Amino acid sequence: MAVPRRTSRTRYVLLVLVLTAATIMTLAYRGHANAVIDKAKSGARDAFAPVGRVVADAFRPVGNFFRGAVDYGSVKAENARLRKQLGDLRRQHLEQADQRRQLADLLRLQGLPFAEAIPKVTAEVVYLSTSNFQLTVEIDRGSAAGLRAGMPAVAGAGLIGRVVQVARDRSTVLLLTDPSSSVGVRAPNGVVAVATGQGANRVLRVDYLAPGTPLQKGDVFVTSGTEGSIYPPGIPVGDVATAVQRPDSLQEDVTLSPLVDFSQLQYVDVLKWSAGP
Amino acid sequence: MTAVGRARMSLVIVGALVLQLAFLGWFRVQGVHPDVMVLLAVVAGMVGGPDRGAIVGFVVGLVTDLFLQTPFGLSALTFCLVGYAVGLVQGGVLRTSWWLSVATAAAASAAAEILYALLGGIVGQSQMISDRLWLIAGVVGAANAVLAVPAERAVRWAMELSTSRARVGAVGRWR
Repeated sequence: MAVPRRTSRTRYVLLVLVLTAATIMTLAYRGHANAVIDKAKSGARDAFAPVGRVVADAFRPVGNFFRGAVDYGSVKAENARLRKQLGDLRRQHLEQADQRRQLADLLRLQGLPFAEAIPKVTAEVVYLSTSNFQLTVEIDRGSAAGLRAGMPAVAGAGLIGRVVQVARDRSTVLLLTDPSSSVGVRAPNGVVAVATGQGANRVLRVDYLAPGTPLQKGDVFVTSGTEGSIYPPGIPVGDVATAVQRPDSLQEDVTLSPLVDFSQLQYVDVLKWSAGP
Repeated sequence: MTAVGRARMSLVIVGALVLQLAFLGWFRVQGVHPDVMVLLAVVAGMVGGPDRGAIVGFVVGLVTDLFLQTPFGLSALTFCLVGYAVGLVQGGVLRTSWWLSVATAAAASAAAEILYALLGGIVGQSQMISDRLWLIAGVVGAANAVLAVPAERAVRWAMELSTSRARVGAVGRWR
């Protein structure tokens, strides 16, 4: 007779836990418990920060070794590609130095917004997301450094995402490649579209790009910065990986390769910029 | 579970969280990393039975949710269901062996990732259901199989159960 009692009690425990979880999710979804949840999340991040930092610093070389071993083939190929790219960029840098000086002069004269003019906070990536369904990184700066949710984050050659959660000394950055992340982009000819993440190690999908937009592989898309955009204009997002015009389609099928290697992120700059009202 | 057991289990959960965030997150295959948090729920069900599996899964899930942007409570719901289901399945096994634990951890972890995505889809996170789901389930299942034995030892220690391999099945422990 003991078995049925245990089964009954077990089912009761499960029912209570499922109902509790469903209630929490409902409260969070409706926004009734957001303040409490945000406070709990911030508290947990700040409490975890010191020990997490020590362990992450201690084990990062091991992780780097593992990544190097797993990705050896692609790292070697990428190294060769980057060497060539570096040579090309050096040449272009020399060619464009004068043009950049002229552009800077014009922007200064016109008072136009420019990403380099936005104050920024440099932060180090301390760890990655615990979930495989969400592409985020945790950085070691938070509200104490003036960061707020919604601020854009950049690294290396371009945009990496935006701050979505801020604790006192920690912030979470949602990466561009996360499937829930979208950014308004502008093609080289000025046409506006939307780039959406498709998961780790994948290209960004461009939607709503007018058919007939002339594109070549390698063309760089930048943030559109249209009114109400959550990103300032002109930040490089990605370069064209594929561009196909289908006869029966209302939009061009375009994908972008992000300009930043998200698996190698170590330092990021958070732009102290927020969208207008 | 006694007060000592609860303290030990808290220690194991915090240790697993530190391991996940600061260490395992960097071990990625095709962008997918092991998920030791879901493994805790699985192993709790394996060694403690369905109700302990559900309770530990719920707590582990809630702790995990504190560090995620996905709907708060989604991990708690998924992990408690997984802990319960593994406990039920394992309860019907009269004798266990190390390979059965490893196989259960692999299958249950993979199933947990799929369940997580499906429940996420139900609550409006449709982007979680994609063709990457199979890759995530496969990599997490394989990685968690490797971690299953140490995780089982840790949870057995926390639940103040014998860590000996020469043990009877879950039914024998509970009666």
